[in-house]
Amino acid sequence: MISVRGLHKSFGKQPLFRGIDLEITKGEVVACIGPSGSGKSTFLRCINGLEPFQQGEIVVGGVELHSLNREKPGRADREAIRKVRLKVGMVFQQFNLFPHMTVLDNIIEAPTRVLRLSRNDATQRAVGLLRRVNLERKIDSHPSELSGGEQQRVAIARALAMKPEAMLFDEPTSSLDPEMVGEVLSVIQGLVEEGMTTLIATHEMDFAREAADRIVVFDQGEIVETGTPEEIFRHPKKDRTLMFLRRVLRRNALPPG
Amino acid sequence: MIGSRGTGPACLKYLLILPVIFLLLFLSSSSRSGSDAAAKVRERGTLLWGGDAEGGAPYVFPDPKNVDVLIGFEVELAGAIAKVMGVPARFVQNAWDSLIPALERGDFDLVINGIEITPERTAKVLFSRPYYVYTEQLVVRREEDGIRGLADLAGKRVGTLMGAVSQTMLQQAGGVDIRIYSGVVEPYEDLALGRLDAVFLDLPIAAYYARPNPLLKYAGPPAGEGYYGIAIRREDASLKEAVDGAIDRLLRSGELRRIYEKWGLWNEAQEKLFHPDRSPGAGASGRDARDAPLVTFFPALLKGAGITVLVSVVSMGLAVALGLLLCLLRHYSGGPLRIAASSYIEIFRGTPLLIQLYLLYYGLPNVGITLSPLLAAFLGLGMNYAAYEAELYRAGIEAIPKGQMEAALSLGMSRRLALRRIVLPQALRVAVPGVTNDFISLFKDSSLVSVIAMVELTKTYNILAATTLRFLELGLVAAFLYFAMSYPLSLMARRLEERLAGRTR
Repeated sequence: MISVRGLHKSFGKQPLFRGIDLEITKGEVVACIGPSGSGKSTFLRCINGLEPFQQGEIVVGGVELHSLNREKPGRADREAIRKVRLKVGMVFQQFNLFPHMTVLDNIIEAPTRVLRLSRNDATQRAVGLLRRVNLERKIDSHPSELSGGEQQRVAIARALAMKPEAMLFDEPTSSLDPEMVGEVLSVIQGLVEEGMTTLIATHEMDFAREAADRIVVFDQGEIVETGTPEEIFRHPKKDRTLMFLRRVLRRNALPPG
Repeated sequence: MIGSRGTGPACLKYLLILPVIFLLLFLSSSSRSGSDAAAKVRERGTLLWGGDAEGGAPYVFPDPKNVDVLIGFEVELAGAIAKVMGVPARFVQNAWDSLIPALERGDFDLVINGIEITPERTAKVLFSRPYYVYTEQLVVRREEDGIRGLADLAGKRVGTLMGAVSQTMLQQAGGVDIRIYSGVVEPYEDLALGRLDAVFLDLPIAAYYARPNPLLKYAGPPAGEGYYGIAIRREDASLKEAVDGAIDRLLRSGELRRIYEKWGLWNEAQEKLFHPDRSPGAGASGRDARDAPLVTFFPALLKGAGITVLVSVVSMGLAVALGLLLCLLRHYSGGPLRIAASSYIEIFRGTPLLIQLYLLYYGLPNVGITLSPLLAAFLGLGMNYAAYEAELYRAGIEAIPKGQMEAALSLGMSRRLALRRIVLPQALRVAVPGVTNDFISLFKDSSLVSVIAMVELTKTYNILAATTLRFLELGLVAAFLYFAMSYPLSLMARRLEERLAGRTR
């Protein structure tokens, strides 16, 4: 479904990725973990065409993104990027809801204008999705009237309204208050159980462990290690993985008192 | 350009006090000048004389061969009078239509600048004995056959000088579409370009500016006849005596005649200067506007206000639309278009509006594009403000988080659609306070279009004040009209801002 080969990416003269490979099959759930700044967000953004890259190849559902680098992508490049974006939905750390629109308008904007759905059909779809994320009653609210958790759930519904084949979650709970993390993760969990191909960058180790089929450990722009949750969390092969896990798990599991 | 945020009702109280303060200042400064003005001039050692050298030929104007030196028959006259008084003369520049108020304020000792002796002016200032007998000359384009005199002017566009006797004569002729200018060069320009059908001005002006122009010709004999006099403050009777004595000596010695002959201005009519009491019965105005109640001027002022509103609204519409286009080109296009938009913005922000207006109206005809005053006003103000609006929109766009565009793109929207539906609606909201502020600025800047023969509120005030010399009262009325229009505007702007803020928060 998603295939990344020999990805090179640098910010100006600062290199980040020096050849990254990753295959994600249909229905697979992959969690990217690793320290902040290790490149997991950038990796997701490359797949969605939000970040240009210099070398390598990304294929999403049969659509190839070549080095779409070059400061200005050509017409064919832009068309490819758009096709990819129609196949994968993206959820951002900062939600990025459109503040000047109601919840409903946020969700139906792209279906009506990009997919050319009628307003009625799009609204029906939106209502169904809102029910699913348990926010039906907020349909006419503006984003500023919602809590962070509610906003992120609307953002997920918005992405799903485009009927994507895969979902990218870029640290979806990192800017939420702790008590709201659960409601968002349970929505993602629901999607995973339905078989949605999912790539998630996260700091929630418990979630990664339970929901993912495969864990990818990033550090300083490299994939340090890939494996099942069992392999990564129980028997990490690399010291860098071990060190990272020690740091985050100690913080996550403070002894009571 | 940078306006303060809207004024609250608390500020209103202070604003109402301002005219009163202004009035007090005005009254307190008007009564200086001692009893023996002539002695004061001698004591000071220079005679200060006021005039307008801008387009001032052949009266007083910069020597084309050496622009640092002023020449003209009045320069020589002033020099001769000062010489008789035993002091050198020094010129003080002042716009022609406000020479009298400037004299009253004490900016100079006297005014020598083709000031016609009229009842309105006689009520305000002293006049020396006449130093020149002027006539008015009608000028038309060479191919014009239908206009031979004042009687043929009904329905025609005729240019003249603000506050001059020729203006009053045209008004009395009735039915003339009078276009009033504050300089004497521009009406002849506009006549040659076909924006006017005729120009009616003092003969010396026509002799210098129109006669050498192959496109123009005199229509009919000179009309009207009147005296130019030297204007002196009412309380400076001794100075008037000295000046009268000097003119008398210059007349008798033949010096005055020599000066006029040198400038090609001497004619038989000048013999009347020897017997000034025999009135030439010229273009004195019939109706005395000095004592008319203020209300008489309201229709004219309100009409001017209407033009001001029209010019402001249309120009702002243009500025808002063109500004958006410029901003988008600068932000989202590439190559030459982007450079063009950037240069446009920098050039229009970096040069004075006044010069842009002159270029549009008087400059473009040189390359074959002749705009009507109204169109030039719309374009001039609109194109200038567009540059500022573009910058406001840019600030608005930059204030919108990058995540908004990214979210839209990730939903499969094209860049253009994302811009139109997601980024711009938010950016424009950010820009609204600045845009409404600019509208209020533009509203006041619209007075600048008076330089291209648009008679809006400020120009109407200038014209009325120059003819009636009631600068203070009419000025307060005009200022009040501006305020009465801009204050509700800023209230509305603030309400709009609050509503927008309430919706996005």
